[in-house]
Parts: sequence; structure tokens; C-alpha cells
Amino acid sequence: MLTPFKKLWGFVCRIWSSANRPAKHLSIGFLTIGGFVAGVMFWGGFNTALEYTNTEEFCVSCHEMGDNVFVELKPTIHYSNRSGVRATCPDCHVPHNWTDKISRKMQASKEVWGKLFGTINTREKFQAERRRLAGHEWDRLKANNSLECRNCHSTESMDITVQSTRAAEAHQAFLFTGEKTCIDCHKGIAHELPDMTGVEGWE
Amino acid sequence: MKLSRRDYIKANAVAVAAGVAGMTAPSAASNLLTESSKTALTWSKAPCRFCGTGCSVMVGTKEGKVVATHGDVKAEVNRGLNCVKGYFLSKIMYGKDRLKTPLLRMKDGKYHKEGEFTPVSWDVAFDTMADKFKSAIKAKGPTSVGMFGSGQWTVWEGYAASKLMKAGFASNNIDPNARHCMASAVGGFMRTFGIDEPMGCYDDIEATDTFVLWGSNMAEMHPILWTRVTDRRLSAPDTTKVAVLSTYEHRCYDLADIPMIFTPQTDLAILNFIANYIIQNDKVNQNFVSKHVNFRRGNDDIGYGLRPEHELQKKAKNADKAGGSSEMSFEEFKTFVADYTVEKVSKLSGVSEKHLVELAELYADPDRKVVSFWTMGVNQHTRGVWCNNLIYNIHLLVGKISTPGNSPFSLTGQPSACGTAREVGTFSHRLPADMVVKNPKHRAIAEKIWKIPAGVIPPKPGFHAVLQNRMLKDGKLNAYWVMCNNNMQAAPNLNEEGYPGYRNPENFIVVSDPYPTVTAEAADLILPTAMWVEKEGAYGNAERRTQFWHQLVEAPGEARSDLWQLMEFSKRFTTDEVWPADVLKENPEYKGKTLYDVLYKNGSVDKYPLEQTHKDYSNQESSDFGFYVQKGLFEEYAAFGRGHAHDLAPFDTYHKERGLRWPVVDGKETKWRFKEGSDPYAKPGSDYDFYGKPDGRAIIFALPYEPAAESPDEEYDLWLSTGRVLEHWHSGSMTQRVPELYKAFPDAVVFMHPDDAGKRGLRRGQEVKIISRRGEMVTRVETRGRNKPPKGLVFVPWFDASQLINKVTLDATDPLSKQTDFKKCAVKIVATGRA
Amino acid sequence: MKRFLIHITTTIGLLALASTAAFSDGAATLRQGEPIASEPQAPKITKVENNDVKRVRNYPEQPPTIPHKTRDYEISLNANKCMSCHARTRTGESQAPMVSVTHYMDRDNQVLATVSPRRYFCNQCHVTQVTAPPLVENEFTDVENIIKGE
Repeated sequence: MLTPFKKLWGFVCRIWSSANRPAKHLSIGFLTIGGFVAGVMFWGGFNTALEYTNTEEFCVSCHEMGDNVFVELKPTIHYSNRSGVRATCPDCHVPHNWTDKISRKMQASKEVWGKLFGTINTREKFQAERRRLAGHEWDRLKANNSLECRNCHSTESMDITVQSTRAAEAHQAFLFTGEKTCIDCHKGIAHELPDMTGVEGWE
Repeated sequence: MKLSRRDYIKANAVAVAAGVAGMTAPSAASNLLTESSKTALTWSKAPCRFCGTGCSVMVGTKEGKVVATHGDVKAEVNRGLNCVKGYFLSKIMYGKDRLKTPLLRMKDGKYHKEGEFTPVSWDVAFDTMADKFKSAIKAKGPTSVGMFGSGQWTVWEGYAASKLMKAGFASNNIDPNARHCMASAVGGFMRTFGIDEPMGCYDDIEATDTFVLWGSNMAEMHPILWTRVTDRRLSAPDTTKVAVLSTYEHRCYDLADIPMIFTPQTDLAILNFIANYIIQNDKVNQNFVSKHVNFRRGNDDIGYGLRPEHELQKKAKNADKAGGSSEMSFEEFKTFVADYTVEKVSKLSGVSEKHLVELAELYADPDRKVVSFWTMGVNQHTRGVWCNNLIYNIHLLVGKISTPGNSPFSLTGQPSACGTAREVGTFSHRLPADMVVKNPKHRAIAEKIWKIPAGVIPPKPGFHAVLQNRMLKDGKLNAYWVMCNNNMQAAPNLNEEGYPGYRNPENFIVVSDPYPTVTAEAADLILPTAMWVEKEGAYGNAERRTQFWHQLVEAPGEARSDLWQLMEFSKRFTTDEVWPADVLKENPEYKGKTLYDVLYKNGSVDKYPLEQTHKDYSNQESSDFGFYVQKGLFEEYAAFGRGHAHDLAPFDTYHKERGLRWPVVDGKETKWRFKEGSDPYAKPGSDYDFYGKPDGRAIIFALPYEPAAESPDEEYDLWLSTGRVLEHWHSGSMTQRVPELYKAFPDAVVFMHPDDAGKRGLRRGQEVKIISRRGEMVTRVETRGRNKPPKGLVFVPWFDASQLINKVTLDATDPLSKQTDFKKCAVKIVATGRA
Repeated sequence: MKRFLIHITTTIGLLALASTAAFSDGAATLRQGEPIASEPQAPKITKVENNDVKRVRNYPEQPPTIPHKTRDYEISLNANKCMSCHARTRTGESQAPMVSVTHYMDRDNQVLATVSPRRYFCNQCHVTQVTAPPLVENEFTDVENIIKGE
């Protein structure tokens, strides 16, 4: 029973004992440059892997995403619109700032857990959890002042003269004054809504 | 009331001018109009012109024009509500292109099949038409003339038409467009219960806690009933449930607790699974079943109602005895449905096992009441009658029927599909009050009430809707009158059957319509027709409610009602020209009389004098013929049903009431039929009495799943389903002329799944051809919006005169009901390459 | 498009043809002259009017048409997007017109605390309008024009 562990431990000890000795044959320059290159490679690999998890392709590779939120996204303005500039999943759902991104990724480990155990592996299960899941995103966007919205929709660049009257009025009254943030009014613009009972602004 | 800025300036200018001149201006010039003689409108009730729901509307008129409409708050059906179409009823009569004079195709001053439409007088129109009808009858007998009518005819129009064809021309070649719409429902009722039309009523909606929609998009097609379902579901969120089944996602899914999309045609299997589930889980209401139900095995492999030379017809074992059935026991039925396991049916239908069980449990749970609603998804089906039978099966197995909230409820498409097409019996095989031409006793009853000699009504059923188009094409039906419908646009397989039929040089086609429709364009003579409140009328809705209205305005130009046209035309024939010689020989007193004399001036239709018409309303037909035409026709017709479980109230009552649900016995309407206590015809002590059947028992039928007539294959790789949209009624001939409704949904599109579009390199808005084995149609791709088809299916609405989807559809029909399956055929979609 | 114009003057039951354009193929006005057997080019999918300008109603009972886009507006068991602006309590912030008082009444005309569930699906009566012009003119007369004798 214990044999594999013993073997593994032996292997780890051998590696460490050789790594712990000063280099006999390698120059300091090689070590420095090599270490740097290895570091870059490691870091690059990590980042590449991380970045891969930030693609829509990765998101919709799980049927939970593909069959629920992604199909819902397709007919909306954030997928299909005049100029063809569109939002992909991570544009709205992964923070761009590195530390926030990492902390979001750590949270995502829970989602992997959910995936493994099939927490939302049917449409019905997903619908049942929808309010809670949407709530997380609303809370996050509320807390960061709708940062992921603003990555594309900057108030400074908004030309209210080409907006519809009601949009121009609402933006002047609430958005430019800072009284409200994007997500306060624009819930459900990219996906179907959960049960909105009791949500502010939806009475 | 509101003054436009211009009006305001005008009024001020007058006031200033008057002030300067030192005089007082009349009140209307100085401010808003308030004088009651000017502002008062005349309000009268009328049923809505559109669907089978039968909402009542209040119609406001002023100086001979309809100026406003709103939902009638006193009406049980809709309590003040209308749908968007209903709210715009005021405008349907005022399209600029209303027909105001008869138009005949002429060349060099006389009729010519390839001539140009030329205005003629009614006399020229009728003389030409009579000539064509007479020469057809003379050459080929009464089966060479025919009529295609409507579930939008008023009760008396349908009755007068039926008399003219069956008792006048001695031809059963009259069929209504309700054949496309309700024939399978009729077949289902007659087969299971032996009597037509729903046992329940709309009160079931407020009384139930479960709604199951079987192929009915009520949210768009019966919007006001949907408001009642919505009201019930949202008012009691914890106890009520809505289950929706369809082959694509539509607006009803917005309210669905159990949303299900199934592969076309597998509804038959799902229904059998539910029966199996009920039996396997010991949920059969044994007491009910043992007392009130018989079991029968229906013939299978019955073909697809195609032309007899079609391969599928030749292959079918029971194509010629489709309606046959044999006795069976409950145990045998149990074995029959045992095959429909949840695993098998889930695989076949694409509905998850979980949902199938949840659905079956709604029926099985003894503590739930259930209303099943269905319309065209079930009826327009090559196994439509079966599908109706199978729904009754599950209600009968658990005894959930004929009591408040327990109701298998077949909804009607048209405003008087029940009242006119079905109750009056304007089908090629029927007579009033559920009687049929095949039955000699029934013919004798009709001939007696109609006061015509025995032997005039032919015993052989006439050509049904789809057969009429085939017979026109084959040159066997030569003089043909289309009234109150747009069948060139509505009937299947326009390219191969309808259009060649109408344009066949051997044929003379007459179309009566208020507007120049696609059908009118294909005709040889167009008759301008009065519509809706331009005539006195009666409709019967889906819950057996008969509703009347008065003539409120005059029809434009020389437009006349269908009723006037039918009666006036009958004056041009004598019995000698149309009745069998032997019948006349035995009844010489009828010789030489006009059909008008024997059919309408027969002592009963002309019994009520003109003075009995309402003094506040005009009545064009009665003034013209000199007696109260509508009352005479109605009372003669009512004689068929009174005392036979189809009792109608006296004529005058209906002008006062917001409709009554028949049978009306001792002045009381009937809400739930077949249940002792609520139906006066249910025998005392019976508890339930399905008196349409001789032993009072309804029938549960063993009927299998069988595939559709045409399914997608490698080349034609998509299912095509057709149907309506909320904003347009049927072929759009009225609603497309209301600017607001046109602008709400202007042109047809093909709704398809984004992935299906993507796979073909198509995108939203791109122009495409929809191609079937029969024809093609050009439209544009819609990948979002109200209808969301699954991969492999597309949906095209048929309201658009410029996009005739019936060039593509297949004329396969239910062999039992002869109703077309407009919901299933195979197509492919390719880009046109144009912008 | 062949225009279909018929002016009829009837004198003592006789037909006097003032100006008549005869037609055969292309009689069906809504097909705009395209014969039944041929296929016209399909009209483009047109844009929905989105200018927020109220339109005059044909009569007071007519439900107002929607003067703005409603794309992606959800009305379902879960949510009603329309009411997030048009509900009584929301109109302060939104400055949108409040749904009419009839919408608070149940089947028996009793006024409820909130919007009546029978009116829940707004799109059964209220529709957006595309920019395309109508195919056929409608000659419905506004009652005010009638009483003013215009």
C-alpha cells in the first residue's frame, strides 16, 4: 500500500539533495540566464494556461455554459449588433486587473467543483440556481462600479446626442451624476433573468 | 379629447376675429367640443371579427362610420379586454382598396378566362355566373359545382349557403375553410363522444390548477384566453402549473413551469406514454372507467390523405377503412400502451424523462384538476383525429372531464368555426346538428325542415377542401364559389393543386371578398362583399357561446353581404334546372319554382315581417327581401337542434345577451355537458352520461405512433412548420390593411435556430429560398424574436400575401378528418445571393 | 405597381364608368403587382422606430403603440422588464408613462394593489412599430374630424 508513497518520497529527497548542492559544472552566468529563461517559461506557461481559461472557447466547452447562458447571449445586442464588435464571456465576467483576476480565478475553483459534481448539469438545476448565480455577478459589478461594463462603455466617450431620448435622459440623471452604476439598470441585457422578486428597481 | 396645434391656432384665430367684430363665436370655435349632441357616440355590442375566443367588443359609431372599439366589460369571455388585433377592429373595414363593385375578367366586352378584371353590374355578374353554374350542371351533373365557405361566415350565411348547395343545387360539394382548422377536432369528438364540441367552457380556466398546452400557442393565437390563464397562474403561483408542449419555443413558454419541445409527430407517443404511466402507477379512476368508458382498437396504417396514386397511399394497409375499429378490453389496452415506456418515448420525442414523468403526474395525481388546451398543432396533423382521441383517453382514464376545472378543451381558430361550420354543418358530409348526409334518416329530417321533397339531398359526401382543389385541377369541378376566405393563400400545395385548379380554362371561379385578395386575383369574377358590422350577424365561439350583432354601418359602394349574394343568386335558378327529374316528377308542385322560392320564401324563413327588425339599426338584406331574413333563417335552423341536445335560445334573446352557451334549456345555458346536474340532457342517476353514444359511454381508443407523411432527409434537411402571429389574422387580408398592425409585424420571415443558419452560412436578415419538392418561396432569415425553433426545424407564418408559404407545403391530410398537416413537411434553405 | 383604382358613379342602377384601370395579374394589392406564380424579392427586415415620441391614438381606448425598441426585454415568469419603468412606483425615476388605471383592475373591476396578472404580458396589446410605410392606405376617420365636419 505504502510503496508508491515511499518511492515518491525517495524521488523528492534525491531531487532536493542534488538541487541543494552548489553547481559544479555550470557557470554563474548560465545559471542566472537559464534561471531567468526557465522563470519566463514557467510564468509564460502559467499565464498561457490562465489566459486560455479566459477565452469564450474554454467557457462554452462546458455544456452548462454552452446550453444555458451562451445560447441566451446569442440573440442579444452584446453578441449580435450593427458593427460586429461583441463581448465574449470573459469581457464581462473576468476582471481585467491582475489581482482581481487571480482572486476571481480562485473563486472559480468552486465552479470546477460544481462542474465535477453536476450541480447545474441540467437546465432545471441551472434555473433553480439562477438567482444566486446572477446575484454574485450583480454584487461584483455593483462593488466595482460596473468596471467590466466600463472597460468598453466609458461615460466620457458616450455621445448622448446619438442615444435615444430616454437613454440620454436616464444617463444624464443617474449615470453621469454617479447616483447609479450600469448594473443598477441594465440587469438581464445579455442573459435571461432569474426570478426578480424583491430585486430593487423591479417592483 | 385633444386639439392639435393647428386646430388650436385655428380656434384662437376665429376667437380673435370674432372679438374684433364684436360678436360671440359658436362654442365649438372657442374651445374644446363639449356639446353632447356632437360628442355622443352610439355604442353597440358585437363579437370580435377574428379568432375563436369570441370576445365581445363595444363598437362606437358616428354618422355612419365606426370610430372606436373597446373590450366589452359586460362580456364573460373577455371582461373589457381585447388583444392588439381586437383593439384595432375599428380600422379593418377602411382599407383604401375596398371592393365596391363586381369585377369580371373581360376581353372585347365579354367574359374571358384570360381577360382583365372589369367593373360590371350585379346583374351582369350574377347572369354570367348563373350561366356557368347551369352549363356545368347540365354537362356533368351537380358534382361539377361547388362552394368553399368559412368559419367566418355568420350562422345564417352558412345556413343559407348549405341550403343553396345541398337543397338547391343538390350537391354536397360545400366545405368550409374550417376543414383546414377544426376537422380533426370534430373527428375526435364524434369518434370518442358521438357529439361535437367541448364539454367544458372557459370557466374551467379559473377553476383548474393545471394547464397543459398540446401544440397550441395561446399567447399569440388566443390572447384573451391566455390573459385568463396568466391571471390564474400568477394569482396562485404556489398551486397552479403550466406545461407547454410544442415543436418549437414560442411565447407560451414565457409562462411555462414545464417547458417541453418534442420532435414533430411524437406527440402520439407522448400521449400513449401518459396513458401507460397512469395505468402502471395504478392511477386509473376505476369507478369512472368501469361505468362510463368502452375500449376500442382503431385501425392503424391508414395512409396520409394524398392522391390515391401516391406511393404512400398505395402502401397503406387501411387507407380505405381508416375509420374502422374493433372492441377490446381494458387489459388489452393496458398491453397496447405498455410499449410506450418513458425511456423509449423520451428517446423518440427528445423530451427528458424527468419532464415526461412530471407531465404524466399532472394527469395522474388525483388531487390535481387538469385542463388540456390544443389547437392547430394537434388538428393540422396527419393523425389529428387520433391525437384528439389520445388526449381524451388520458382524461377519461382518470375521470378528469366535464366538471369545473377538468376539461379536455379543443380551441377553435375561427370566430364561428363552431357556430357556423360545425353546428350548421357546412361540411361536405354534414347537415345541421351533427347529422350527416350519408344517413337516410338525417336526410329525411333535413328535407322535412327545409320543406323540400325527399331525394333532393344526395347521399354521397361531396368534395372536401383539399379534394376540391384537386378536382378543380382535374377539371371535374367546374363552377366554384369561394366566400369569406382566402384559400389560394391558405390551402396547401398552391403550386401543384390550388393555382392550376383555379386557372384551369375549364373552370369558372367566383370569389366574394371585401378586399382584392390573392384568391380574388386567381378568380374570374370578384364580388364585393360587406363585412363584420356592415351586416347583422351571429357567431358561435369555442365554448358553445352563440353571439349576435346588429348591422351598425352601411357597406361601401355596391358591396353586399354573403347572405344577400346567396339569396339573390338563388333567384336565377328554377328547380327544373337543378333538381333530379324523378324527384320533380313525383312532386310536381315544385316545378318551375325558383330556388329562392323553395329555399327562402318557403313559409318559414319568410315568417317574420320586416317590422320585427330593430328600429335603430339598418338591415340591408331584410329591407331588400321584404322580411326579417336573419330571424327566419335562424329560427328554421334552430329547429334542427332544439330537443336534440343542441338547443338554441329564441332569436331575440341573443340580441340582448352577451351570448349563451348551448344547449340552452328553459332559458338556461349549459356550462358542463355530460355531467348530471350541470347538463339537462344527462339522465338522472347516470352521474356522467356521454349521450352522444347509444350506451352513454365514451370510447378510449388504442392508436399507435406512426411517422409523418414527409420527414427531413439528406436533401430536404429541415422540418417546416407554418402558423400565425399575434398581430395578423389568418391571411392578413384585414390586419395587413391596418397600418399599426402592419407596422408591428410587416412581412413574413423564416424563424430558425442560429446554429442552423450558421451551418448554412446564413445570417439574420439575409434573403433565402425555402425549397420543397413542390415549390419555393423567398423570405428572410430571422434568428431571434418571439419564436425559437430547435435545430432542424423552421417556422414560417402564412399571413403575408407576398410570401406564400403554401407554395411549399404538402397537401397530406388526416385520412379521417381530411384536414391538412400544415405543421410538417421537409424543406431546404439556400441563400438567394441577393442583398 | 399597378394601382387599382375604381371610381364608380351609379345612376339609376346603371353603371357609369368614370375612370377605370382594368387589371388581372397583380390584382392582389398586398402583393404590390407581383403575379401569384412568381416570387418577389423579400422586403428587408426593417428597423423599429425608437424616437420616444408619443403617437396620436386613433381613439381613446386604443392601446398606445410602443415608441421605442423592446429588443431583449424579457416578460416571463421571472421578470417583466416593461414594468421596471412603467410601474406606478417606477415612473418617478423613469419618467415613463404609468400603465393606465385599468391595468390595476381584476376581472371583476376591483382595483388591486399592483398590476393585475391578466395584464401581465404587455405584448398582447402593445406593439412596436417599424419604419416601413404601410402597403395600403387606411381611410379610417378620426371622430374629431367627423364632428368638426371636415
